[in-house]
Parts: sequence; C-alpha cells; structure tokens
Amino acid sequence: MKNSVLASVAFACVLGFTSIALAGPIEDRQELMKANGQTMKLLGGMAQGESPFDAAVVKEQGEAMAARFEKAKTLFPPGSEQGPPETYAKPEIWSDPDGFAAAANKAVEASQAVAAVTEAAQLGPALGAAGEACKGCHDKYRRPKD
Amino acid sequence: MASNRLRWTIAAGVLLCLFGGGVFFVLTEPAPLVSSDLPSHTADVERGKLLYTIGGCISCHKPPAEAKVENPTLPSGGKPLATPVGTLYPPNITPDPQTGIGKWSALDFINAVHLGISPQGRHYIPAFPYASYHRMPLQDVIDLQAYVSALPAVKSTPTAPVTSLPSFVRRGIGLWKKLALSDVPFAPDAAQSPSWNLGAYLVNAPGHCGECHTPRNIFMVPDERRHLAGAPHPEGKDKVPSLRNLVGRGRYTDVDDLTSAMRFGEMMGYDRLSSGGMGDVQANLAKLPEDHVRAIAEYLVSLK
Repeated sequence: MKNSVLASVAFACVLGFTSIALAGPIEDRQELMKANGQTMKLLGGMAQGESPFDAAVVKEQGEAMAARFEKAKTLFPPGSEQGPPETYAKPEIWSDPDGFAAAANKAVEASQAVAAVTEAAQLGPALGAAGEACKGCHDKYRRPKD
Repeated sequence: MASNRLRWTIAAGVLLCLFGGGVFFVLTEPAPLVSSDLPSHTADVERGKLLYTIGGCISCHKPPAEAKVENPTLPSGGKPLATPVGTLYPPNITPDPQTGIGKWSALDFINAVHLGISPQGRHYIPAFPYASYHRMPLQDVIDLQAYVSALPAVKSTPTAPVTSLPSFVRRGIGLWKKLALSDVPFAPDAAQSPSWNLGAYLVNAPGHCGECHTPRNIFMVPDERRHLAGAPHPEGKDKVPSLRNLVGRGRYTDVDDLTSAMRFGEMMGYDRLSSGGMGDVQANLAKLPEDHVRAIAEYLVSLK
C-alpha cells in the first residue's frame, strides 16, 4: 500500500518534471509575458491608488520583471517561429534580430527603472515608460491577437 | 443585308458606350456642398479637439520618427501607406499655406471630411475614412475644422502625389461613394442609455472603428451585417480582431475592464491593444475623458 502511494507520488513527480522540461520556448515565453502582465496590473493598481504604495513590493516586482525580460531574450530561438501552441510572434523577430534585441533591452531598462522607484509619485511615470516599452515591441514584433 | 446589320450593331454598340459613359459621368460627378448647405453654428473648438482625438487624425498624419520635424506631435504629414491603388501620402493638415491646408476655406475642409471631395473637386481615395466621418453631423465637422485650423502651422517637405491611379479610377470612386456613404446621419437609439448612444456615435462616426474591424463586401463597402466582426488587416497580412461578444469570448471581464484597457493599455498590463496599429489608437483613446471611454466600452460590450 505504502509502496504504491510512494510509487504514484514518484510517478507524478517524474511526469510533472517531464512536462516542465518538455514545455517549449513558446509556452515559456507566453507564461513569462503573462507574469509580466500581472506585475504591470498589480503595480498599475498601486499607481492608480487602488492599493497603497509599497516601495518594497515595487522593487521586488520591478526586479522580477527585469529578470524575466532578460530571460525572454533567450526564448525566441530559431525554430520557435511557429507553434503549436499558437504564437503571435512575427517573423520580424528573426529577420531583424538587432531591432528585437534593442526592444527587449528597452523593456529590461524600463523594468529596472520601475524597481528603482521609491516614491508613489514616481510610479505612474515609470509604469508609463514601461508600458511604452511593452507597446513598442508588441507593435513591431507581435501580430494582433484575436 | 448583312452589312446593314453590322452597321446597326456598331451603331448600337457606340450608342451604348456613349450612354454608359454618360451615366458613369453623371453618377461619378463630385457634388460638393456650397455655403448655403451649412447650418448656422458657432464653432466649439473644445469639441473640435475631442473629435480630432477620437477621430485619430494624428495617427495617420503624424510625421514618422525619422522625419525629424520640429514638432512631431502635429499632423504635418504621415508615413506613406501602401494601398492596392498605389502609395498614399497622408498630407500635412496643419495650417501652413504652402505645404499644409492653410489656404483652404472652412467649406473646403468640410467637403473633404464630410464628402471626401478635395478643394479641386476630385474624389479622395477612401483610405481617408470619410465614409465614417460622413455620419458626423455638419456641426461636428465645423467644430473639427475650427480646431484643426487653429493648430500651429508646420512647414513640411512636399511628398510625391499618388502616381499609379488613372483618372477614370479616381472618378470611379464616385460610384463607390453611392454605396458607401450613407445618407442617413447617425441617429441615437431611444431604447438605449445616453452613454451607450455616445459610445455608438464615437465608435461609428468619428472613431471610424469599422474601417478596419468590419469586413468589406465585393464592392469594398463595409458589410454591416457583420458590423465590427473582424476583418483581414488592411496592410495585407494578419487579421483585425472582432469586437463582438468581447466579454463572452473572455477578452475582457466587463465594461470596467475594457474601459481600463482602453485608458491605460500596457501600463496596466493590458496587452491586446498594442499590435497591428492599435497602439496608436489606444494612445488616442487614453486622451479622451473617462466617461467617453466608458461610453465606448458600454457600446462595444453590448455587441453580441
């Protein structure tokens, strides 16, 4: 009995790890972007006064977002132009690697600037700039989502 | 006998061509408004600014980043648009007399926006979305004119005119206008709230959302049975998404959510309004008063 429980737990673990390992760059970058969207939503609410300003949260979230954008640069390898799963990445990512890298660096820098915010009044403008970085890249390198 | 029949056939053919040409000529004749067609109305520049913003004039008429003009926030002529009929250059619409529209009369401006007719009496190519602007009451066009003519003048570098369009094709746009320009102006729906009606007006008249979001029929006229149901992207690749059933399809949770998305976009983690040219549109929406954005959201969310 005990053995079979242990075995199934082990099996579940192996299955879990394999599925993580098997998730390709498309899934990884989509998860990453989702997490960045949540960070923006959380901090955006703070900037709008929906939640109280908390410099420690801003720093932590901004740094996490910068790290994710740093990682994002590695998640568009050749061969990941097309899914499944459906990807909205435009071919320009691969045909204009310098432009794409510059756009990604902009997002890293804008995220670091968010992390450096210490006063409530600075948060809105810093998020505005980060939003522009997101938008600039999505405009050039991502197809419209239906 | 046979030659007689041939003669008749040729004569009939020639007459038919002349008749056809005459009908074409009559049907495609640009018919601009004259001063006496205009309502008496004192222009409201503030409202003109609002209409300029929702109309998205700046999105097409703003200079490209590489143009290095003194004030890039003014509509001194936009980047070339590739269309099926040739390359178009959105002109300088600031009041510079030489390179802008400084020499236009108010009536010239109204004819351009309301009917798509140039001061020289020619049809504009409908990449300029006058079929939507046509739904604006003339009072609103007068307000818009007052605002645009009060912008600072910017001298621009003149761009090449459209080269690949034969004059009979341009004239033929007159036929298209017979189908595409509705003579029924925007009318509020009494069964709906004032806010919904404001949204419907902003979306369908100055906002011209249907120009890209409504698919076109074989005559290139928006198919209103599929109003805002999504369409091929005008630049050729990709799709323009549907704006129907936005909540049911899980795109936004409710009117509040869509309002925030349009006001804040990526700044609040909303990433759908950035691609395919929508980023510029969202930047315009962000400049509108909140109640106007909410009205747009209310109208859009009601579309099933």
